[in-house]
Amino acid sequence: MKINIKKELICHIFLIAAVIISLWPVVFMLSASFKELNQIFQSPLNPLPSSPTLENYMTVLGRFPIFDFIWNTFFIAFFVTFFKLTTSLLAGFAFVYYRFKGKELLFNSMLMTFFIPVTVLIMPNYLLISHVGLLNTPYGVMLTELADGMGIFLMRQAMRSIPKALLESAVLEGAGPIYLLRSVVFPLVRPSVIAIGIMFFINSWNEYFWPLLILKDKSQYTLSLALQMFISAEGGSEWGIAMAVAVLTSLPPLILYLFFQKFILNTFMQAGVKG
Amino acid sequence: MHNIIFDNVSKSYGNKEVIKQLNFEIQEGERVVFLGPSGCGKSTTLRLVAGFEDITDGKLFMGGTCVNNMAPGKRNIAMVFQSYALFPHMDVWENIIFGLKIQKLGKKEIEKRAKDALEMLHLDGFEQRLVKSLSGGQKQRVALCRAIVKQSPYFLLDEPLSNLDAQLRQQARQNLVRIHEINKSTMIYVTHDQVEAMTVGQRIAVLRDGTLQQIATPREIYDNPSNAFVASFIGSPAMNLITADIVDGHLFIGKVAVPLPDRITAVLTGKHSVIVGIRPENIHITTDDRAMLKGSCRYTENTGNLQTTQLYLADGTAIFSQFAGETYEIKAGENVGIQFLWENVLFFDRETEINLYVREKGENKYGNYRN
Repeated sequence: MKINIKKELICHIFLIAAVIISLWPVVFMLSASFKELNQIFQSPLNPLPSSPTLENYMTVLGRFPIFDFIWNTFFIAFFVTFFKLTTSLLAGFAFVYYRFKGKELLFNSMLMTFFIPVTVLIMPNYLLISHVGLLNTPYGVMLTELADGMGIFLMRQAMRSIPKALLESAVLEGAGPIYLLRSVVFPLVRPSVIAIGIMFFINSWNEYFWPLLILKDKSQYTLSLALQMFISAEGGSEWGIAMAVAVLTSLPPLILYLFFQKFILNTFMQAGVKG
Repeated sequence: MHNIIFDNVSKSYGNKEVIKQLNFEIQEGERVVFLGPSGCGKSTTLRLVAGFEDITDGKLFMGGTCVNNMAPGKRNIAMVFQSYALFPHMDVWENIIFGLKIQKLGKKEIEKRAKDALEMLHLDGFEQRLVKSLSGGQKQRVALCRAIVKQSPYFLLDEPLSNLDAQLRQQARQNLVRIHEINKSTMIYVTHDQVEAMTVGQRIAVLRDGTLQQIATPREIYDNPSNAFVASFIGSPAMNLITADIVDGHLFIGKVAVPLPDRITAVLTGKHSVIVGIRPENIHITTDDRAMLKGSCRYTENTGNLQTTQLYLADGTAIFSQFAGETYEIKAGENVGIQFLWENVLFFDRETEINLYVREKGENKYGNYRN
């Protein structure tokens, strides 16, 4: 194959520019968290702190109940992930292995939920949570996030790649649906389960708007809500501290992603979805 | 009784009927082979027996019970799949005892059965190996192991040897027959390979386009195929099928009139045109001038023990002949005489292709012709 050098060059220049643009906020966050407040505004474009300081981190850890925020966030993210995975596994399994009337219709209507904007759902969901009296509790945040159309779709794609004969042979041996799911299907789609789980976890961890509506007490705050405390403060924003919290907030999902990158990429390639 | 009865069994996908009114019985302990070209419905029929597909019409009985609505897991069937269907996340041992654990058999019983099976198929020492580290032949044996530990009265095999090379295939065939001789389960074996069918089957069911063409012993299928399709499907090279006219007690093959014996004329009364079927090994090449037909040799293949020759009659009709290589060395281009015995000739109806002249047992005699 002949490579058109000019074309390649232009492509790469664009890509490099895109990388710089998308990485800049991250670099800014990281460097600002190690800078003193006055230096952040003196040289915002210089990523290297002139005199690196851990002061911001010390303040965060000392003055704020940061571990409570971490726990609140983790609590919600963990259960949301757990329930979404459970429902995705069961629904994906049903869509692949059962023949029933209206299966296609049901699956397509489930796909349609992708196209409903979150903002449309906020009102009815808020009213629902308010009616059942779960406002200002983590359960109120979780309740509307127990199932996920994308998760079901991805689980179904993963299960469809299992050869039919494997399942037939298990069925012939007398395996019931639960046994089949537990001892044959689940082990074979485990990489996808991990990838989808991480995706759910990161999404829930980073969620801002929905918890903002439900959670009122500072003691219930998740990390992304806690972050605003430092930015919108009346006495001027404490950017250094805010950035330190932001770094602490981004670390767990980042570490998770780095560890399981391979599974995540495979799962999305398998589903034909480009991230 | 662990017999299987097909009572008018049909299967359709939408409007397309893929299995058409099957009617036959497989006896308890019998080895029956479903044979046919791809797309003939043999695998579908097997899947009907296993319960993976619903029967559209008719009834299927297993051991006297109608199983139309019985779940696969309740039918007490062991099966070997073409792809072996071994669980890739389990080792050999876990694969073999998978079904026994579901049956909740005692630990001792499970171990005994699995060990016996492993030993029988020379797989001892492989227990902890992962499936993906096994060769094709070993996988096939593990699949067989998993089927036999179940000790089911019914044993289904869907092209179990098609992924093996020729040498392993023969070995595996022998294994299968040996195991069946011990287990005596009712066995259905699906294949498109006629050699497998002839060697494994006690009876062969030949299928074509979802209809049963013939079910009989391998010998019977070979000697008395029910129609021209069965005749051409079994045997290699295939049976010579030549259209010929009948005029005044003479058979016109390639414009040459050959007088028909009276007993055959009697059977073919009223027929003016037939398909004549002669197996290649029954076509004899001779230098005798009084030979029935004359032809020229187009090409010849000598495989040491056998010489296969393609001959052309004067009108261009091609005929295959196969005989023991040492008898006569024939060269391409050579003109020869062609001879056959009437008792080795089959006649099929020109339209329906049905065998018109079913020979009695022992009537045909192979290789008794002497030049």
